[in-house]
Amino acid sequence: MRVIFYLLILTFCLSSTYAQDLVHKDSIREGATLANIVVTATRNEKQIEVLPVPITVVSREQIEASGLLRLNELLAEQTGLAVTEDHGSGVQIQGLSPDYTLILIDGEPLIGRTAGTLELSRIALADVERIEILKGPSSSLYGSEALAGVINIITKKPKQGWKTTLSGRYGTNQTSDFTADGSYANEKLSVYALLNRYQTGGFDFNPERFGQTVAPFHNYTARFKVAYQLSSRTELDFSSRIFYENQNPSFGIGSEADLLKIVGDGRVQDYNHKLDLRHRFSDSFKSQLRLYHSAYSTNNELREFESGSMYDANFFNQNFLRIESLNEYYHSDAHILTFGGGVVREAVEATRYNDVTPFLSQYLFAQHEWEISPRMNSIIGARFDTHSEYNSQLSPKLALRYELAPWLNLRASVAAGFKAPDFRQLYLNFDNAVVGYAVLGAAELAEGLQRLESQGQIAQMLFPAEQIGNLRAERSWAYNIGAVFTPHQKFSFSINAFHNEVRDLIETQPIAQKQNGQFVFSYLNLNSVFTQGAELESHYTPLKGLRISAGYQYLIAKDRDVIAAIENGEVFKRDSETLRTRRVRADEYGGLFNRSRHSGNLKIFYCESKTGIESSLRAVWRGRYGFGDLNANQILDNDNEYVPGFVTLHAAIAKTFKQKYRLQMGCDNFLNQTNSRLIPTMPGRLWYAALRLQFEGN
Amino acid sequence: MRIFDKLFVYVFLFMAVFTFVSCGSEEEKSEDPVPDLEVVLIKDLAAPNDVIDRETGQVVEERPFVYFNLAKGEVVSEDETWDIAIKGLAIRVNGGTSGEGDAAAAVVSGIFEELMEVPAGTEFAQDNAPNLAIPMGSGNGWYSYNPQSHIVSPIAGRIILVRTHEGKFTKLEILSYYKGAPAEPDAFRDQSATYTFRYVHQPNGSERF
Repeated sequence: MRVIFYLLILTFCLSSTYAQDLVHKDSIREGATLANIVVTATRNEKQIEVLPVPITVVSREQIEASGLLRLNELLAEQTGLAVTEDHGSGVQIQGLSPDYTLILIDGEPLIGRTAGTLELSRIALADVERIEILKGPSSSLYGSEALAGVINIITKKPKQGWKTTLSGRYGTNQTSDFTADGSYANEKLSVYALLNRYQTGGFDFNPERFGQTVAPFHNYTARFKVAYQLSSRTELDFSSRIFYENQNPSFGIGSEADLLKIVGDGRVQDYNHKLDLRHRFSDSFKSQLRLYHSAYSTNNELREFESGSMYDANFFNQNFLRIESLNEYYHSDAHILTFGGGVVREAVEATRYNDVTPFLSQYLFAQHEWEISPRMNSIIGARFDTHSEYNSQLSPKLALRYELAPWLNLRASVAAGFKAPDFRQLYLNFDNAVVGYAVLGAAELAEGLQRLESQGQIAQMLFPAEQIGNLRAERSWAYNIGAVFTPHQKFSFSINAFHNEVRDLIETQPIAQKQNGQFVFSYLNLNSVFTQGAELESHYTPLKGLRISAGYQYLIAKDRDVIAAIENGEVFKRDSETLRTRRVRADEYGGLFNRSRHSGNLKIFYCESKTGIESSLRAVWRGRYGFGDLNANQILDNDNEYVPGFVTLHAAIAKTFKQKYRLQMGCDNFLNQTNSRLIPTMPGRLWYAALRLQFEGN
Repeated sequence: MRIFDKLFVYVFLFMAVFTFVSCGSEEEKSEDPVPDLEVVLIKDLAAPNDVIDRETGQVVEERPFVYFNLAKGEVVSEDETWDIAIKGLAIRVNGGTSGEGDAAAAVVSGIFEELMEVPAGTEFAQDNAPNLAIPMGSGNGWYSYNPQSHIVSPIAGRIILVRTHEGKFTKLEILSYYKGAPAEPDAFRDQSATYTFRYVHQPNGSERF
C-alpha cells in the first residue's frame, strides 16, 4: 500500500510541476485509422507501423467473417501460434509453453490456470472488438507470465445511440451458441451488457467403450460495462465479467474386461471486476487509477458409475486483487514517459494445499518512448517486482525502429522476461497414501522432510540440502529482429527472427527416497531451453474487400541439458527390431515435445459492404511435432514419436439483409482431419448455421 | 631442392609404415588374453506379477518369483543356488533381505558391447527391502513406465552388473518386457512380465568381460 501512496504523491507532484503549457501532438500520426491502433505494446495508443516490436491484430471483421466463437479457435489460426492440449487448450508463442503467455481482458490479467494452462475456451468472442497479440517478453510492463508474449482482448466500446443484437447458432455435435447484447451511449454515459450461452454435446471416437472422448459441457458468460464522463477531464469506468461452466465427463479406466466406469460433474467459475478512474491533468499529463479483482474456482467430483461411490473430489479457489497507478507524461513531441506501480494480493485454497499464506507483491515500472529522429524511434523500459515469497525481479526492455526507406522499416528489440513460481510449485502438499509417494511444494519441503525424517521414513536424500527449497523465478532473455516491406499500398511483407533463452525452468524432481522405496518429489530450478526461428507474413489486397494473407513460422526449440547429454554420449536408444542399443546422434534430437518445426496458414477474406456478403476461407497447416517419448530415453528422437503434420480447412459465408438480419453458414475442418489416437481433442468436420438480428437507433 | 623433396617423401613413407606397424603390434599386445565370452540370450522368460485388486491395492493372488542362475544360464528352484529372482517389475538379488547368498548388483549407464569391465567406483548393493539393489520405480532402475500407453520399456543404455553368489561378475541388459519382444508392444494385448534379456558371465572372477 505504501508504494501506491508514494506513487500518487509522485503523480500529483509531477502533474503540478509540468502540466502548465506543454502541448503535445498525440503519438498517433495523422491518417491513422482505428484499425491499426494498438495499446498492448506500450500501454498507450500507438500506430502499429511505428512500433519497434512484433504485434498482430485480429479485428472484429475477421472474427465475424470466420464465424469464430471462442478464443482457442481464433488463436489456432494465427501465424506463429499453436494451440496445444495439456490440462486444457493453451497457446504456444514462439515455441514457449502456454504457462508463459499472459492473457489480458482490456489490460487486466485473467487468472485460473491448471498445471500452467489457462483454458482459452473460457473466453467468448461475442463482445470482442479486437485481439492484440504481442510476441516476445513484456515483463518490463506486465511482470510475471509475460515471458513468451501477451494476448490482450479488447472489448467493444458502445457507439452513440442504442443498439441491440440477438444471435443464435446451431451446429454439429449439438453445439449451440446464443448471444444477446445491448448498448447505449451519449456524450457522458455509455452502458453495455451481454449474455452468452455456449453448449456442446462433445463427441466420441470410441463408441464401443464406456465414456466420451470429449465430454459435453455448457457455459454462460455475462458482461456489464459502464463508463461515465465525470467532467471534461475525468472519466470513471466500471466493468464486470462473470463466467460459469458445467461439464459432465465420463470415462473408463483399465482394460475392457475389467472396466471401472467413472462419471463426473465439474464446475468452473470465474469473475472479474474492474474500476478505472482516468484523469487528464493537462494536455501533457494523463493518469489512471485501476482497481481490479478477480476470482476463479473449480469444483470436481468423480463417481463410480455403478455404485455411485466417490472416486475423487477436489476444489481450487483463487483470488486476485490489484491496485495500479498508470501515468503518461508527454514531455514534447519526441518524448513520452509512461510510469506507474501497483500492489497485488493473491490467495489460494485448494485440496492438497495446506493453509497458504497469500502472496503479496509490489511493482514499479517506467517506459520512455523517444522519437530520436522522424525515421527512428525507441522504447526503453524496465519494471521492478518484489514478492513476499521469492526473489525480486528487474525486467528491462530496449526496442528500436528505423525507417530505412518509406517502404522498408527495420526493428529490433532485446528484453528480459520472467515467470514467478506458482502456488502449486510452492505450496502443494500431497501424500499419496495408496502408492506411498509424496509431492511437496518448495515452501513445504523443509518442514515435510523433517516430519518424514523424524518418523524414520527417509531412506536417503538425493539432492544436497542446500540445493533444495529455494525456488527462483524462471527467467529469459529474448532477441527479436525484423523488417516490414510495403513496396505497394496493396502488398506488405514482414519477417521477424527471434531467439529466446530461458533458464531456471522449474521441474518436478525426486528429492529423497522413502523407506518404502517410493520418492518425495518437489520442484527445482533445473533446465535451460532455447527457442529460435523466424516468422514470415504477407498481406495482399488485390481488390477492395478482398484480402489474402499467408503466414509461416520456422521453429527450433531445444533443451540445452539434453544437447549436452547427447554430446557427452549419455543418451541411448534401442533399435526396436534388432534390440541393439546405440548412442543417440545430435541430429536425431527433435527438441521439445509439441513444437512444429514448420507451421503456416493461408487465408482469404472477402467482405463486400454493398451486397452485405462476408466470407472467408482459411487453411491452417501444422507441421509434424513430437507427442511423447516412446523409447524410454525421455527425449524426442524417433519417427514414431511424432504426430504427422496436417492441414485443416475452414470456410464461412454470411449475408446481411436490410442491415438488420445476418445469415451465416460455415464449416470448420472441412477436410474432416482427425487423429483419434494422438489428437483426441480435435473433432471432425463441423457444420453450422447462424442468424443474427440487429437493431439500432439514436 | 628436388633431393630434399625426395628425401622428405622417403622419410614420410618410412614414418607412415613404422607408425602403421607399431600401431598394429600394440593392438596385438593389448588383445585380451581371455577367450571370447559367450553372450547368452534368454527369450520370453515369464515372471508374472501377483494379481492385485486395483481399487484396494490388495494382493488377491500371490505368485512365485522366478529364480535364475547366471552361471548355469537357467531357471532354478528357490532351494538351489540362484543369483537373481524376477517377478513383475521386481528383480531381486540373492543377498541382503532377499536371500541368504552374497550376490549384489549395480545399475550403470553405457552400451552393452562397449562395457569391457566393471567401471571403477561402481558400488554394488544388496537388497534392503523395500529398496532393491536394482531400484524399482519408473526411470530409477532398468525400466520406464509410460502412464499414457501403460507400456513398460527397458531403458536403453542401462546395464545391470551382478556380482553373483559365487563372487563372479555378469553384465546384463534387459531387452523387452513383452512376449516375443514386439517392436511396438501393446500394453493390453501383449503378455507382459515376459523378459527377453542378454548377458555375459565372466566365470574366472575377473572384472573384465
